Amino acid sequence: MVNLTIDGKEVKVSKTATIYEAAKEAGVHIPVLCYAKKLLPYGACRVCLVEVEQMKGRLIPSCTTPVTEGMVVTTMTDEIRKVRKTVLEFLLVNHVVECPVCDKGGECDLQDLSYEYEVVSNRFEGEKFDLPTDEINPLIERNMNRCVLCGKCVRVCDEVVGYGSYSFINRGFETKIATAFDRGLNCEFCGQCVSMCPVGAILPRPFKFKARPWQLKEVNSVCGYCGNGCTVTLGTKDNEVQTIRFNDKTGVNDGNLCIRGRFGYSYVNSDKRLTSPLIRKDGDLVEASWEEALRRITDEFRAAGSASGFISGARLTNEEFFLLKNLAKAVGTGNLDHSGGECYKGLTEGLQETLGIKASTATFPQGEKADAILAIRTDFYETHPVFGMVVNQAVRRNEAQLTVIGDKQGKLTRMPHARTLLHKPGLEVNVINAICHVLLDDGLVKTEGLEGLDTFKKALADYSPDAVAAATGVDADAIKQTAKELATAENAAILLAYGLPYTANSKALGLAAANLSLLIGAAGRSGSGLYLCGEKSNSQGAIDLQVLPSEGALGVAEMLSSAAEGKLNALYVVGEDMLVSYPGKTLVEKALDKTGFVVVQDLFLSETARKADVVLPAASFAEKNGTFTNAERRIQRLHAAITSPGEAKTDFAIFQALLSGFGESAPATETEAFTKLAAETAGYEMVSLDMIGDQGYVWGSDILAPETRNLVAVEGGTQLDARFQLVTGSALYHSGTTSLHAKGPMAVVSEPYIEFGREDAAELKVVEGDTVKLKAAGGEIVAKAKVDRRLPKGVLFAPYHFATLGLNRIYSGQTAIAVDVSK
Amino acid sequence: MTETAQQETVEEIDLTAANQVLDKYQDMHGALMPVLQEIQDHYGYIPEETVHLTAERLNVYASQIYGVLTFYAQFHLEPRGKYIVRVCMGTACHVKGAGRIGETLQDRLGIGHAETTDDIKFTAEYVACIGACGMAPVIMVNDATYGSMTVQKMDEVIEKYKAMD
Ligand code: SF4
Ligand code: SF4
Ligand code: SF4
Ligand code: FES
Ligand code: FES
Repeated sequence: MVNLTIDGKEVKVSKTATIYEAAKEAGVHIPVLCYAKKLLPYGACRVCLVEVEQMKGRLIPSCTTPVTEGMVVTTMTDEIRKVRKTVLEFLLVNHVVECPVCDKGGECDLQDLSYEYEVVSNRFEGEKFDLPTDEINPLIERNMNRCVLCGKCVRVCDEVVGYGSYSFINRGFETKIATAFDRGLNCEFCGQCVSMCPVGAILPRPFKFKARPWQLKEVNSVCGYCGNGCTVTLGTKDNEVQTIRFNDKTGVNDGNLCIRGRFGYSYVNSDKRLTSPLIRKDGDLVEASWEEALRRITDEFRAAGSASGFISGARLTNEEFFLLKNLAKAVGTGNLDHSGGECYKGLTEGLQETLGIKASTATFPQGEKADAILAIRTDFYETHPVFGMVVNQAVRRNEAQLTVIGDKQGKLTRMPHARTLLHKPGLEVNVINAICHVLLDDGLVKTEGLEGLDTFKKALADYSPDAVAAATGVDADAIKQTAKELATAENAAILLAYGLPYTANSKALGLAAANLSLLIGAAGRSGSGLYLCGEKSNSQGAIDLQVLPSEGALGVAEMLSSAAEGKLNALYVVGEDMLVSYPGKTLVEKALDKTGFVVVQDLFLSETARKADVVLPAASFAEKNGTFTNAERRIQRLHAAITSPGEAKTDFAIFQALLSGFGESAPATETEAFTKLAAETAGYEMVSLDMIGDQGYVWGSDILAPETRNLVAVEGGTQLDARFQLVTGSALYHSGTTSLHAKGPMAVVSEPYIEFGREDAAELKVVEGDTVKLKAAGGEIVAKAKVDRRLPKGVLFAPYHFATLGLNRIYSGQTAIAVDVSK
Repeated sequence: MTETAQQETVEEIDLTAANQVLDKYQDMHGALMPVLQEIQDHYGYIPEETVHLTAERLNVYASQIYGVLTFYAQFHLEPRGKYIVRVCMGTACHVKGAGRIGETLQDRLGIGHAETTDDIKFTAEYVACIGACGMAPVIMVNDATYGSMTVQKMDEVIEKYKAMD
C-alpha cells in the first residue's frame, strides 16, 4: 500500500494504482477521455493532467502515472483548467459538432467536458473533417468526423475482443481510425467499440433516432441467450426494449457482450410474437381464451397421467423450472427433461462419476489469471463468447499458454502463441487420454488421493502420444508439451462447452476432461478450474434444479422414442423448437405426430408449435422476474423491463395457473418460489434472494471442491472413414433458434451455410456463395457455400440453428456425418 | 463469414514470392517491417493479398499492417510504374519553375503526384529537395538525375523512356 495526498485528502491505495485510480477511490473526480478501466493505460488525450508537487514544472497525466509514497497531487488549478480547456479546443478544431442530431448527445464525454470547461469559442481554426460515414453494415455506424482519436476502439477490439478490426492509419491531419484497407466494418459485431467510444463516432444503428439517453428507463437483467450469463441493461421506452446500455458495474462480464447480447434483443419486440393461446379446431390452430386452453390441458394431462411427458428448453428461470417440476409431479409423471440428445451428460454423469459434482469448479474471472488454458473444441468461443474474451485477455495480457483441442481452427486457435492439437473429428477424448498418459508416464503429477489410478493407467496404455498421434493426426510432441505445461502451471483452466449441437460423446468428454483436471489438480484449486459450460442461459439451473427424469422415468431420448411408438398420450414442450434444434428430426416428427395431445409453450409459432394441439404464448426474458444460474454457478436476478405483448404470460404464471387447475398450491410470487426451491436444491440451501447482489451469488463458493476424486477410464472415439465429414456446432452470431427472430444476428448471418476449408473448396471448385448439396444417410441438405480458413481438408461445417437447412434430417447426434458433396 | 467477405477485391497474384519472404521471417519477432519491405521489393508494391497472407502467417491483424503501410511513405498499395519520375518541388526548383515541369508530365502522360499510367510504365512523384539545387529544376527517373529541366527537355526525357520497355 502507498500513502499519498490528493487535493488535501489522505489516500491509501495499492502500489499498482495510478493517480487517476487513487483519486477515483478517494472520490475525487478527474476528467478522462482515453482512459477506460478495462484497457491498458494509454495516455493520449491529456485531459486528465494533474499537478504533482514532487514533479513540478510540468503537468502529469494521471491515468498513466503510478502513485508513489508521499505524493502530493492537486487535481485542479487555474493552470490545469486552462490546459484542459486548450486540449478541448484542439479537439474541437476538426471535430464536426452535431450534438442536436448525434445519438451520443446527453452522454458524450466531449460534449460534457466542453460544457464543464465552458469552451464557448475556439482560439484555433482549422479544416473540419469531411469523411464519409461507414453505414455498410446494419448494426454499427462509424462517423469518423466525430472521432477524438482516443484509440479506445482500437484497443478494446484488440485487448479484449482479440478481433483487431481497427488501426490508426495515415499521419498528421489525415490520421484516422480505419479497418484494413479502410473498408466498411465487417467483424464479430460484439459492439465493444460502441460501448467504449466516448463520443458519437461509433454508434448502434438499430438505436438511431430512437430516444435521447435520458428518456430511457434502465433495467438490469441477465442476457437470455447463453450460459455466459452476461448482465444486460435494457434501455426501454414505450414498453419496448430500445437498446442495450453500457454497464460495467453489474455482473460478471465487465460491460462486455457478444452480438447476441448487444444486438440480439429485438426478438422481444417482434410483431411475430404469439399474443394469444391457440387451440387446434378442425385441423387449424385458432385463437382461444386462456381459460379454455388451460382447461383443455388440465383435462388431457389428467387423463394421460404417467403416460405423459414434459420437455423443456434451458432458458426458463429457476423459479419456472421449479414450478414445472411440481407440475409434472402433479400430473403424476417423472418423464421430465430439458435438453435434446441429453448433451448435459458430461456434467450429470461424467463429472458426477469422477468429481462427485455437476458444475464448473471455478468462476469466470479466475480464468483471466490462468497461465495454462486448455480449450476442448475451438467452438468454445462461439458458444460462450464473453468468457472467450476473458481467455483472450489471459493470453494477450498475461501471456497464458492456450492450447486448443479441436477438429477445426477458429478464433481461439489464432490467439497469440496458441497451440492447436488439430485432430480428426470425434477424437477429442483420444487426445485428452494421450495427455493423461504423458502426465502419468513421465511422472509429471502427484497421484495421492486419486481413486482408480491402476485401472485408469492400464486403460491408458493404448494412448501413448505416438499411438494417438498416428490415429488423430495431432503432433506427438505437441501433446507432450501440453501435458508438461498443464502439469507445471500455477493456475490451469480446462474449458468445455456442451449443448444441442454437441451431443456426441458428451459423457465421455466430461469424464476425460474431469480425469485430466484431477491429474493436474485443476479442479478445486484456487485460481484453476474445470469449466463445463452449458449452452443456454439457464442450462446450469436446469441441472441444479434437476429438470431431469426421475428414477426409472423417461429422459428426452426415451420420451421421444416412446412417443413415436404411440406410448405417450400427452406431451408438454416448453421453450424449445425441437423440430429444428434437436438431433434426429424424423424421430421428433414422429413423436409429435403419434402423441395424442401436444402442448407447445413458446414466444413464436415455431415449427414445433405448428404441430401442437394447444399453443401457449409465453414471455421473453425481458418480461420476467426470477433467476438464472450461469455456467459458473452464478445465480443472477432478472428484472422485468417491459410487459408482454397481448395476452402472453410468463412461464411462471402459466405453470401457476395449471398447478391450481390440478388443485395444487403454487408459490404466489417468484420470490416465494425462490425460497422454496433453494430449500430443496443442493448448493442453494443457504441462498436467499437478498444475497444475490450486483455480482450475483456463486453457489458452492468461487471454488467448488470435488467431493470425490475418481479416475474413470474412458475410451476414445474412432475415426469416420469418409472423404468428406460434416460437423455441426454453434455459429458465433446465433444461439439456439431464438436469435433467428432477432434483427441483429440475422443482419449478419441471415441464412444457413455450409462451410468449406480452402483446400477442399479449391479441389471441389466451390466458391463462396455457390449452392452446394450434401448427401448423407437419411437425407440431404442444400445451402450456400462459405469458404474460410477454419477447416482442415475433408471436414465441412454447418451451423445447427436454421430451420430451413433441415440439418437434423442427417444429424442425429453423431460426431461427424459422412457426406457426398455436389454442386 | 467475416474474413472472407473482407477480401472483396483480391487481385490474382502469385503468392510464391511472398510466401518465401514469410518463410524466412516466420519465427522472428518484430519481422513485420522487413517482410513488407521485401514483399514490396519483389512486387514493386504491396498487393492486398499479401497483406492478408502476412496477417495470417505472422498472426498480426490486417488492420495493423494497413496502419503501418499508410503511416510510412515508403510503402505503396497500388502497382507502381516501371519508371518513377520524381519531380523536385523543393524551394530552389519551385522558384526555377518546377511547377511547369510537373504540368508537362501531367499533360503528356496524364499523371499527377502519386499517380501511375494505365500501362504501369510511369509513376509521378512530387518530392521535396533532393539535394541537387545547383541544377534546379531537377527531376529523377529511377536512379538517373536530370538537371536544368525545361519543357522541351522534359519532352525529350519522356520520349526516351517511352521508347524503352
Ligand atoms: S464490434 Fe467488436 S469486433 Fe467489431 S470492431 Fe467493434 S469491438 Fe471489434
Ligand atoms: S472512434 Fe471513438 S473510440 Fe475510436 S478513437 Fe475515435 S473517439 Fe476514440
Ligand atoms: S449470448 Fe452469452 S456471451 Fe453473449 S451477451 Fe448473452 S450471455 Fe453474454
Ligand atoms: S485520460 Fe489520461 S491521457 Fe487520456
Ligand atoms: S529544391 Fe529541388 S533539388 Fe533542392
